Amino acid sequence: MALLTGKPSARRQGFELAMMSPALLLLALITLVPFFSIIWMSFNDVSLMGGLTFEFSGLDNWQRVFTDPDIRSSWLISLFYFLATVGLEMILGTVMALLVYSLTRGSNIIISLLLIPMFIAPVIVGLLGRFMLDPSHGLYAWLLNETGLFDGNILGSVGPAMVAVILMDVWEWTPLVALIVLAGLASVPEDILEAAEMDGAKYGQKLLYIILPSISNILLVALLIRAMDAIRFFAIIFITTNGGPADSTKIIPIRLYDIAFRFFDLGYAAAVGITMLAFSILVANAFMKLLKRQEKRS
Amino acid sequence: MTQFKRRDILKGMGGLAGLSLMGAGSLRTALAQGMASDEAWRQASGTTIQFISENTPPTTAIAANLASFQELTGITVNITEMQLGALVQKVALDFGAGRSAFDVIYADPYQVLAPYHRGLVDLNTFINDDQQPVVPKGIEDFIPSQLAAAGRFENEESLYTLPYDCPTMIWIYRRDLFEKYHDQMQQDLGFDPMPSDSTTWEQYYQIAAWFSNGNASEVKYGTGHQAQQYDSLMCDFSNVLFAYGGSYFSNGEQVGLLGTDSPGACQLTSDASLEAARFYQKLLKVAHPGSTSWDWTGVANAFQNGEFAMMPEWHEFAGSLEGSDLKGKVGYAPLPKGPARSANLWGGTGIGINANASPEKQKAAWLFLVWATSPQTQLMGLKSQVGGGTPTRQSVYDMPEVKAASTPPTDMPNMLTADTMLTAWQEGYIGLRPKIPQWNEVDTVIFTELSKMLAGQMSPEETMQSAKQRIDRIVGA
Repeated sequence: MALLTGKPSARRQGFELAMMSPALLLLALITLVPFFSIIWMSFNDVSLMGGLTFEFSGLDNWQRVFTDPDIRSSWLISLFYFLATVGLEMILGTVMALLVYSLTRGSNIIISLLLIPMFIAPVIVGLLGRFMLDPSHGLYAWLLNETGLFDGNILGSVGPAMVAVILMDVWEWTPLVALIVLAGLASVPEDILEAAEMDGAKYGQKLLYIILPSISNILLVALLIRAMDAIRFFAIIFITTNGGPADSTKIIPIRLYDIAFRFFDLGYAAAVGITMLAFSILVANAFMKLLKRQEKRS
Repeated sequence: MTQFKRRDILKGMGGLAGLSLMGAGSLRTALAQGMASDEAWRQASGTTIQFISENTPPTTAIAANLASFQELTGITVNITEMQLGALVQKVALDFGAGRSAFDVIYADPYQVLAPYHRGLVDLNTFINDDQQPVVPKGIEDFIPSQLAAAGRFENEESLYTLPYDCPTMIWIYRRDLFEKYHDQMQQDLGFDPMPSDSTTWEQYYQIAAWFSNGNASEVKYGTGHQAQQYDSLMCDFSNVLFAYGGSYFSNGEQVGLLGTDSPGACQLTSDASLEAARFYQKLLKVAHPGSTSWDWTGVANAFQNGEFAMMPEWHEFAGSLEGSDLKGKVGYAPLPKGPARSANLWGGTGIGINANASPEKQKAAWLFLVWATSPQTQLMGLKSQVGGGTPTRQSVYDMPEVKAASTPPTDMPNMLTADTMLTAWQEGYIGLRPKIPQWNEVDTVIFTELSKMLAGQMSPEETMQSAKQRIDRIVGA
């Protein structure tokens, strides 16, 4: 009967729960215990000397989080960085996927070549970027200088440094978006496209009214994946600018790293970390809601 | 029994002194043979200890010569090398866990010793123990300023580390260019441009501007700096700050030498500090524009590539420069004088013992400390093909072969800076940053605010005012 209705009986549910309990317990140990520990840490001054010690400090750390001008500034930089990288990656990735999809021959080779950047570790991308942009021997610095586009120190100047780290991230992760969108394009109904062509629709119209609506769910998935990644972005900036010059690239993960692992102010770091987690959850929920709405609509 | 051991050890010391006169080829074997009979050296035989170190030349040299220590003591040493930032994290977490994953610790005076000195063994425990080998030539043989700066905290009684390496910032310049353009520069600038005891920072600026104006075809700029928003920027600025008579805290030399838990109010808004900040901003305007994205390695690479004629830089880069196309073309001098003095920032470190280690491991660690900082091991390091570093002991500099190596051609390139270094470490020349537990945070404030000044976002006055406010909040002044 349970099988027929699709609802398991209470007895069967108990059995399934018992079977899952070891895995659930393990999961709780490795996620919930650290999670609650961090919450507890955020209400304490944590000292490492002579063993880990907690001294209850009430809401001090939380008050700092919301009044610290450095944290506020880092959040603003993070938001700008987040919008710029994710926005560019979505646009360029979609364009790239559409171009590859339109190829009749050699698409496999092109895809393989396009995917290379995302297989390089972000630390290496940072090192490559630093090398290429070095004002004394960097190829890109030299090219920009020779063409008269920019003759300063890219990673040492306030605006250009931010542009450089954004472009490094875009270079690395646009292929991932392209790959996801490409998978989505395969599901665009050919018969509707052919019908549109028969009716004399131009490419722009097909793109706007058939292709993009057909892959909107996939686009949201790509957006979700990249957004989650962009929030915790760290390696490239850490290697290239370390948050400088003048704190212009000090996004919140770099600030958090300083607080936690350079100043060892672990209680405050816990509070900052939790705000990052909350932001990630909010962004993820927003995308999930959008995704569900899209599903209902389609 | 005790007396006999002591005498026996002293005999071993005589052997060690004799070894210092021997050539490098047989040194490793001779060191082991000369001391193998000493029971004290084998008291922890069979023990394995862990040594965590920054990836520095002395450790590279020691890692390559560990066999002689193992032969001498029967102790196995596992060395973990990494960048300083990662090392500090591992050591802090080790202390936090109350464990001893690492028995011998490369204890940076500012990032490890000041905040975690209570986690290190007071080495007087071993120095005063007759059962232990004595430190060859005594701890008096270490350069005094380095012993205090690297080994002590707050008082002169406790000793937490033995000086292990001693990078110090000096003036590195293209001697070939200074000689080639000497007369022209002298005529144009109105003073002798060759670096000397009397050269001032203002003259350094004028020399830099002279080269940057395209007077020498070999280089594009006069000076390069390690002015990335990073620790290197604080180091570069500190030379100027101290030279102009400024300091981070009152009683700055004492705070630098012995350190303190409560340094008091920040002094960066003093007239001398403000003057230093103004000059530094002016200097960086004529420097290679790449300076604001270089740390010490970046600026050294650019110098090696012929981008500019001079730089304030850690002396240990002499080794790589003398192994490059610039071999024989580089000169070394103490940094220029300001209105107050010449200040050469010291960045040395000692090695200490984790107090959480078991007594047996602590003994083994002590033997390693004595061996690793002995004159013979430092000489061995100087001659090493894989690493090197610079001795922290006066007796090594007094060795005839080391003295001979201070002029080219030499097989010990770091010794080309020896005369400069011995001057730079003297009282009145050495520059010491504050040794306080909150240093990492204070350091970050300093280089961040300076970076804003160099980016043109703040004036020198605003920079120093903002830095003072933040630092006072951090140290609770």
